[in-house]
Order: sequence, then structure tokens, then C-alpha cells
Amino acid sequence: MLDPTLLVAASATLEAIINKALQYDPATLKSLQKNTGKSLAIEISELNLTLCFHLGNPITITNHCEDPTVKLKGSLPALLSLALSDSTNLAKSGVTAWGNTAFLAEVKSIARRMEIDWEDAINQWLGDIAGHQIAEGLRRQFGWLNNRRISGERLLKEFLTEELRATPSPAELESFTSAVDQIYLKTDRLNARIQQLSARLQQQDSATNKE
Amino acid sequence: MTDHNSTNQETTHFGFKQVPVEDKANKVADVFHSVAAKYDIMNDLMSGGIHRLWKRFTIEISGVRAGHKVLDIAGGTGDLSYKFSQLVGKDGLVVLADINDSMLKVGRDRLTDRGVCGNLVVAQADAQYLPFPDNTFDCITIAFGLRNVTDKDLALRSMLRVLKPGGRLLVLEFSKPRSQLLNKAYDAYSFRILPLIGKLVTNDSESYSYLAESIRMHPDQSTLKDMMETAGFTNCSYHDMTGGIVALHKGIKP
Repeated sequence: MLDPTLLVAASATLEAIINKALQYDPATLKSLQKNTGKSLAIEISELNLTLCFHLGNPITITNHCEDPTVKLKGSLPALLSLALSDSTNLAKSGVTAWGNTAFLAEVKSIARRMEIDWEDAINQWLGDIAGHQIAEGLRRQFGWLNNRRISGERLLKEFLTEELRATPSPAELESFTSAVDQIYLKTDRLNARIQQLSARLQQQDSATNKE
Repeated sequence: MTDHNSTNQETTHFGFKQVPVEDKANKVADVFHSVAAKYDIMNDLMSGGIHRLWKRFTIEISGVRAGHKVLDIAGGTGDLSYKFSQLVGKDGLVVLADINDSMLKVGRDRLTDRGVCGNLVVAQADAQYLPFPDNTFDCITIAFGLRNVTDKDLALRSMLRVLKPGGRLLVLEFSKPRSQLLNKAYDAYSFRILPLIGKLVTNDSESYSYLAESIRMHPDQSTLKDMMETAGFTNCSYHDMTGGIVALHKGIKP
């Protein structure tokens, strides 16, 4: 268990960062304020650590929460995966939830719509002209990196499927699973047929024995 | 926590010195009259700002929510009371209590300047004889104050009396570091650097020598927990903070 002083320092820092960032996204801040008084507790099982987000203005983060609106518990990778995915379904996510899950879906929806105006934040420090130039440069770089990431993913997928033949293509996989399904159904039908014939044979045997 | 000397006069500790029981409160009062004006800046200097994290943790553990009644004993300059006043809302009540009127005036002015009103009252009160009816408060905190109380057992019983059943007492106080190495470093800091800072900032090294000495004379974690249980609290537990330099004790009134 970490020293409470460190935990409190970390949560205070995170709280300050989130509240500062939200100043540059008034729409998200307004949406969160509508839920003032509600709280989301996240328990990271392997660290035995709980972070509780109390919504309001400002948002507060604590390590102890007696009655959260909703509580999530899971491993760090499972929680991160849930946070980054678009899905709101917890099935097979490795995350357990207690409480008002509608509130959880709402928080996720708010987070998805979040759009922080970084340019405004930079302008506060460097002024409008320099800030705009830097923000433009950063936007170009991020855009370029994002395009490279998307095309990189596509090229890697094609290389593994088409060149190395290490993984099947989606069409091949679909055809294969469809064939497996067909075999499964045919096996079921065959099994039923065998059982039917076996029952008929037993009936015939018992009739012969009576005669 | 008192002793009898050869002339049968009851004595108690004041730092490392033994003083007559009836003199301790006045001596402690003198210390705090002397440091009141620069109490906050000294706290930040001495702890490197970490006292804010200790207090923040205390507020987290308090579980105080809207409508609660909170008593902040030895509330001094009102750090905890300020946060509590936000948590209890307009339907709750926070009582900022301190035996020392100099500290109380600084706290009251500071809270007024920060716009706290309506749900906060200020009371000059002795922790040993709390002037409140039985079963009044949902939560009582005493932060860095219990070690200055002459009869700690009497104070704990008084706090138990004014707490509501199910209410919680939180005692935030300096304690005993768990590691020997940290203990040595902490001793060197307390007895050499602390009085020096006191001398430079407030021109009063004696008060800060008393601070270091009174911390050493304060019961350690398990002794204080036993004292709380003896006073009548249940589910007593404590959290060590910053390696045990400070501990937060929690007890529930049955």
C-alpha cells in the first residue's frame, strides 16, 4: 500500500490538471456540472487503489469514497481498454460495475464529445500570434502522425494477410467460421439421426423378443 | 498523563520540561499567541507544504457530507473548517473551536476574507471541557492539537460525549516514524533546522523547540489508539502518513 501522502499528492495533481484542461472546454464542463453531486469510483485491482471523481465545479478526486453513484473495478489494462473503446458494454471487458450504470454511460458519452481547445491554452502563455503558429504546427504534426498511424495499421494488416499469409483475411475468416457452423449443424443432425435409428432398432429388438 | 513530584504537586510535560498541571495551558497559550500571526507561513515552510496533503487526506476520511455538523477542535487558522464549510453546505454547520483567542482571531478573519459565512461559527473552547450538548456532532477533527492538551484522556472523553452515536473522531497528529533512518533524519531536522527557521521567520526559536519536544512526548500510534479505545471509541484505526511522521487516528462513537 502506497503512503497516503503520495496518493493524495497524485490525486491532487490529477485534479488540478483535469480542472485546468476543462477550462478550455466549456461545453464538457457544462455537461459535467449538470451531474454535480454524482461520483464515479474506479478501483484498480492490482494496485489496490481507488480513485473517486466527484463531479461539480471544480471536479474533485479522492482516494476514499463511501457511497459513489457508480463504481468500476478491474485491472488497469481492462479499465484503460474500456476507457479507450467506443463500447459501453461491460460484458467480457474484465470490468465489474456497481450502481447507476446509466450515469456511467453518460460520463462516457461526455468524455467522447470532449474537445479541449489547446490553442487557447497555448495563447494564454505565448500570445495570439505565436500561439496560433505553434498550434497550427502541432495540428499539422498530429494530423500527419494520425494519417501515418492509420495507413501503418492498414499496411501491416495487408502485409500479414496477403504477403506473409500469417493471418486470414476477414472474408476468409468469415467463410471458415461459416463452414465450422455448417459442420456443427450437420453433426447435430447426424447425431439426432443416429439416435433415432438406434431407438428404432431397440423397438424392433424388443418386439422380436416378445414374439 | 500526569505525575506527582516530591512536593505532591501534580505535574505534566511541557515539551521535555515538567511543569505544574495548571501552568501547562498558559504556557501552551503563550506559544500560540507568539506564533499565531505567522502560523500559516511557518506551517508551509516547516512541512514544505505537505501539511496541506495531510489535511486533505483527513477531509477524505471524514466522510462529511451536506447537512452534517462538524466540530474542528484546535482549528487554528481554519484550514479544515474552510473545506468542511463547503462540504456541509447551507444546511450543515461547522464549529471552528480553539482554546487560543489569537489563533481563533486569525482563523475567523481568514475565513471571513474567503467568504465563508452562514454555516460556520467560531467558539473559544477547551478540548477537555467542550461546551456543547451531548450527541451534537457527526464528525470531530483535532489536527495538530491533541499533543498540546494537558489531559488527553479527559479531552477524548469530552469529544466522545459531544459526538452523535455513529459519529467519527479524527485525530491528525505528529507521531513516530516507522524507519530508524527516517527517525534520525527527522530528529536532526526537528531539533536543529526547525528552531532555526522559527528564529529567522518569527524571531522565536523557543516556540519551535517546544513544537519539536512536544511531538516527541506525544503518544505513539498504538498508544493513542489504545487511549481512544479506553475513552470509549470503537473501530479505532490509524493511517501512517509520510512514513509515520504524522498519523491520522479514527474512532467511532458506539
